[in-house]
Amino acid sequence: MTSLTYQGIPVWRHARILGWTAQIVSAIIVIAAVAFFIYNLASAVEERDIPRGWSFLSREYSTPISESLLPYEESDTFAYAFLVAATNTLTLSLVGVAFATVLGIVIGSAQLAGNWILSRAAKVYVEFFRNVPLIVQLFFWYIVLLGLPQVREGYVWFDAIYMNNSGLSLPWLKAQDTVLAWGIYAAVAVAAALAVQQVAIRRELRTGRPSYPLVWASVTAVLIGAVAWVSLGAPLVIDLPRPVGRFGHLQGGIGLSIELAALLVGLIIYTSAFIAEIVRAGLQSVSRGQGEASRSLGLNAMETLRYVTFPQALRVIIPPLISQYLNLTKNSSLAIAIGYADLTSVAKTMTQTAPAISIFLIIMAIYLLFSLGYSLIGNLYNRHIQFRGG
Amino acid sequence: MATEHTAPMQPPRTETGWIGWARFNLFGSVPSTIVTVVSAPLALWACWAGLSWVFTTADWTLVTSRPQQYVIGIYPTEHAWRPLVGWLMVSVLFGLAAGMWKGAALRIAIGYGAIALVVGLLPYGALHEGVNMPLDIRLLVLGNLPVLAVAYWLGTTEAVGRPRWLIVGGLVTYVLFLSLLVGLPGVTAVLPGVTAMEPVSPRVWGGLMLNLILSVSGIVLSFPIGVALALGRRSNLPVVKLMCVVFIEVFRGVPLITLLFVSQVLVPLALPENFPVNSVTRAAIVITLFSAAYMAENIRGGLQGLPPGQAEAARALGLPGWRVTVWILLPQAVRNVIPAIVGQFIGLFKDTSLVYIIGMLDILEIGRAVVQGNVEFADNGRELYLFVAVIFWLITYTMSYASRSLERHLGVGQR
Amino acid sequence: MENQSSDATATDGGQSNGAEDIIICRDVHKWFGSFHALRGVTTSVARGEVVVVIGPSGSGKSTFIRTINRLEKHQRGDIIVDGFEMTDDIRNIDAIRREVGMVFQQFNLFPHLSVMRNITLAPTKVRRLPMSEAEDIAMELLERVGIPEQANKYPGELSGGQQQRVAIARALAMQPKIMLFDEPTSALDPEMIKEVLEVMQELAASQMTIVAVTHELGFAREVADRIVMFDEGSIVEDQPPHDFFNNPRHERVRRFLSQILRH
Repeated sequence: MTSLTYQGIPVWRHARILGWTAQIVSAIIVIAAVAFFIYNLASAVEERDIPRGWSFLSREYSTPISESLLPYEESDTFAYAFLVAATNTLTLSLVGVAFATVLGIVIGSAQLAGNWILSRAAKVYVEFFRNVPLIVQLFFWYIVLLGLPQVREGYVWFDAIYMNNSGLSLPWLKAQDTVLAWGIYAAVAVAAALAVQQVAIRRELRTGRPSYPLVWASVTAVLIGAVAWVSLGAPLVIDLPRPVGRFGHLQGGIGLSIELAALLVGLIIYTSAFIAEIVRAGLQSVSRGQGEASRSLGLNAMETLRYVTFPQALRVIIPPLISQYLNLTKNSSLAIAIGYADLTSVAKTMTQTAPAISIFLIIMAIYLLFSLGYSLIGNLYNRHIQFRGG
Repeated sequence: MATEHTAPMQPPRTETGWIGWARFNLFGSVPSTIVTVVSAPLALWACWAGLSWVFTTADWTLVTSRPQQYVIGIYPTEHAWRPLVGWLMVSVLFGLAAGMWKGAALRIAIGYGAIALVVGLLPYGALHEGVNMPLDIRLLVLGNLPVLAVAYWLGTTEAVGRPRWLIVGGLVTYVLFLSLLVGLPGVTAVLPGVTAMEPVSPRVWGGLMLNLILSVSGIVLSFPIGVALALGRRSNLPVVKLMCVVFIEVFRGVPLITLLFVSQVLVPLALPENFPVNSVTRAAIVITLFSAAYMAENIRGGLQGLPPGQAEAARALGLPGWRVTVWILLPQAVRNVIPAIVGQFIGLFKDTSLVYIIGMLDILEIGRAVVQGNVEFADNGRELYLFVAVIFWLITYTMSYASRSLERHLGVGQR
Repeated sequence: MENQSSDATATDGGQSNGAEDIIICRDVHKWFGSFHALRGVTTSVARGEVVVVIGPSGSGKSTFIRTINRLEKHQRGDIIVDGFEMTDDIRNIDAIRREVGMVFQQFNLFPHLSVMRNITLAPTKVRRLPMSEAEDIAMELLERVGIPEQANKYPGELSGGQQQRVAIARALAMQPKIMLFDEPTSALDPEMIKEVLEVMQELAASQMTIVAVTHELGFAREVADRIVMFDEGSIVEDQPPHDFFNNPRHERVRRFLSQILRH
């Protein structure tokens, strides 16, 4: 029997030949499948004359965007509208992440509290909000907020916070002309404080006597700040919202529409329930022995938490926490359900006047960029703890 | 020196019973006491306010007057028996599992039976004029109870009570259920006058049934796909690895809503013309793939957590490559990440409520249609969302309950 | 790969007691990246011989026995096991793995399978024995290693020594001609080391070919036919136990012995 051989071994039994064959066959299958879809797409676009291309980006969008952080007019281009919508999503997610983290840490710690009522309440919160679809919660908060009284009968606290069925108005900081000069002062203050801190640390190491590096650094920074204040005045002033005109519409401060408020409330509560579970699991993952060892060294409960338990729990907490941040960002696309102009919802509207294929490619790229950003933070953190022998 | 042992004594009264419990859990320290004093009245008030709203202020008419819609959506009434027969088949599975495993499975089956009892016995007619449940429908719903009981008994027998029969039964039920819903195309042409099984478009599938169909399909299919992706990502074939990484990262990085839009706009273009796939199937595929990407990462995590010695020992025994993976690595990896996998299933079930995006009437959307289409319900949104939330919560909680008990069960004999 | 020798019975390297050589290694080299782990190892093991391999950590002794069943792929030189040459031919690799049993430092029992299933898995799936036959063999082996009552437990429920004995039974169930031990007692508590060594001793008495990496010098002295010492990827000493302990040829051996005997 004649047979094909390689290095004296029949090819169908040669480990390396089999490996190569698997590589080549798998590559052909995968590439063929991708080519098939792309070919279909291309021929469908060709035959049915489906709009395509990227020229629309420089066209005027000519459609209103209900609410945006960046200034926007209907005469702006599609490209700029993308930027406006992406900024909305990013801001929404950053604000949501900040509040959800704080709330999640509080509730997660409360789940482990010694007080039965507190731990039970935290548990109920987590179990309920985690297990109900976000969209149901969003609709719920939306109609609850829509049920608020009208502007003139709305709630007012301290003449500064206004809540009514057209939204929420809060005091906000307004930059003065001197803000640039303040920036220079701030840079100087930070540099000086760091220098003072270093000097103090060196001295402490040299003399062995406590030299309070942090205290001296703070004092330096505050002194420079005081000089700046005297010479420049305040950098920012508080801008209060106030009702104007016959209908009492609110001007000044910062305003959130009902849609945005409902979206934020829903996202924050939903995500905080997940974060609370992560924090609880993280704190519980630190073995009891660590706490006992720390207490037996004479550290008190607070110091044990600060120096022993929490740093160790953080290693367990951070990676899933970052994926929750990413989830929150993606979940903000549910904005479309209650009509806030986030990235997905603006893009959906755009498809009526511009090529859908291009638009979806763009928004998928933007979302991937966000997720890449969060993964990057996660990886940096992982590397950071690995350097310390994590 | 006395040689007798000291007899055990009762602990002080303050350490046991409800006094001890309260001392420890409510007044254990000064901060704890303060929290109790502040929060106890608050908690009582919140409970009272909530309950009084539910029982006096709230108007549940929009729920109780349309039982059928929440369960099967706008599936034609004359064909309503089809999903209900499917429900009976599902009861067989619950009964079998309960008989086989007892414990948590039995408790879940009892809760499940209780729901069938309530749905079948509620006096809809007495609550609302003109609303009633026909007797045959009621009987079909109540029929779940004897079916459950018989299946339970079968499950306790040696011959039937085996996991393999449950798996076979599950697959058969899945296929039969879907065939019942779809119907038999062409049956009226062959047998004129026979309309019982005429086709019903998936466009009118709805209610909780739709959520459950989508999530069961997603769970059944996303698991093997996820396993394949995880293995692909770990394989040493560069092309396969690259494709798996790209697939996983794209599906994990983009919101499901966006993907659903893409499925409606782009996927039909990427498939050959006249490819027989409707929008419901497309949505199911997208939800499944989305879930599979997360599943892949969970399973990959499980595989990475295994000591390398496991694969080495298996290879040293002479097991060929794929068998090492299937028999040694995967079972352990999956068992180690059960909580994450069930969490993913729960997420998938919750995500099925997003199909409203493509115009499907799931339990949430059909409720919203009721609220928006009827002036008398215009102010009942809160009741609707609370009702839907409780339904979702019941099902997801049951899933995580089953997961915890499975974990305990498999934990036996673990190192 | 070069060196296409099919002369499986050639005995030009290492020491042997004259019987037929079942393992032959000629100038075996292994690199991990740029690290040269095995630097031209030439030795052979006769049928029924017991060879104990010792050496400081990182000396290549584990790598060496892992190349014998291809857990590590060597890059140069020849390895011939029971007439099968270790090449890229998957038929040979499979054949060699069937001939060679291995026991690991960390036991590596499959925690999701019962003790019985751990032992019967490979015979039923690789050798295609019927389950009943495989179970009979497994029970016999469990009796041989002294723990027949543990058959239906899971590995996690056993002590370390019991787990290692199950691991030995699992390897024996494939009826190997050669057994490799990679520091089988290093992860065990002192009182459990003895029970595992006894099983190994009994195995040696039954004419099994054994290559064992171990620090148990008492075992080596009593049971081994030869002791091979590795250092920096090469064999520096290869003698029967008596000569090895009493008049080692290398200064390095004396230093190593004094280090591990001191504690």
